[in-house]
Amino acid sequence: MQNCADKLGFEFDNSAEKLVGSLEYMLEHIAGNLPARADAEDILFKSKVIITELLTNGIKHAGNSNTWFEIEIYPDCLVIRKNDKGTPLYLVDPDHLPKVADENKKLISADMLNSLYAIWESENHIRFASEEGSFDEVLPVEQVMEHFGILIITCSSDEFTYTYDRLSYTNTFRVQLLF
Amino acid sequence: MITVSNEGPKFVIADVTITEANLSNSDQFKAELVSLLDQHKKIIILDLQELKYVDSAFLGALVSALKYAISLKLDIVLVGLRNDIRDLIKLIRLDKVFKIYNYAEEAQFAVNKF
Repeated sequence: MQNCADKLGFEFDNSAEKLVGSLEYMLEHIAGNLPARADAEDILFKSKVIITELLTNGIKHAGNSNTWFEIEIYPDCLVIRKNDKGTPLYLVDPDHLPKVADENKKLISADMLNSLYAIWESENHIRFASEEGSFDEVLPVEQVMEHFGILIITCSSDEFTYTYDRLSYTNTFRVQLLF
Repeated sequence: MITVSNEGPKFVIADVTITEANLSNSDQFKAELVSLLDQHKKIIILDLQELKYVDSAFLGALVSALKYAISLKLDIVLVGLRNDIRDLIKLIRLDKVFKIYNYAEEAQFAVNKF
């Protein structure tokens, strides 16, 4: 990653009525600062869905703690970071999740359309990954999952990680989009 | 947030009248959709052309309502999606679950052939 060319900090008070205004504020900043090499339409679409889900996550889980966003634009990538001191992600205690072949990789959710995995890169640091599923011509709709927040961010990004700092009780979601 | 604008023998055209569909109104959205299915017992052609912003909670509500429709041997068909909302639906492959058309007229034509 090259030196950061632009950085924006933004505090969100986790109120649903400010979701769209906060989203538009951050998107305008990104749109105005993307380097020429970036595919602006693609990056702005992905940024829109990612920031929407991070804002929604703040409303659902941050509690009384405000959520702090950082948008960093580098010559070769965009980094969106969200910090809060709310309830830790349930994956911090992963024992109840089914293991797959890799000791550090666990299946979070799966249906015929998508499988979502959490990969522990170190204690309290998780990277998310997804795989497309396969199905016959007729998809059993009743088996389709109804929770899409983490999946949407994973599918939109080049890297999506979650870190929980047990000393400062801080949750950090970090999303990277390559140009 | 959902109003019926037209009705045929097999379908109801229902217009979503909100511009933002997120976790603050997703429960109500689902309840109205379920109520429409119960009331009309017809395929719902859901016109989303007013919608500018959606999140995962809205998509979850939509899938949940679709499951209910399928349990009644009915369906929910989507029309009038903005490009970015259609792209979001494709991103998580929900285009494999929902029938999607550009316009209500196309959906009516297709529904009448079911």
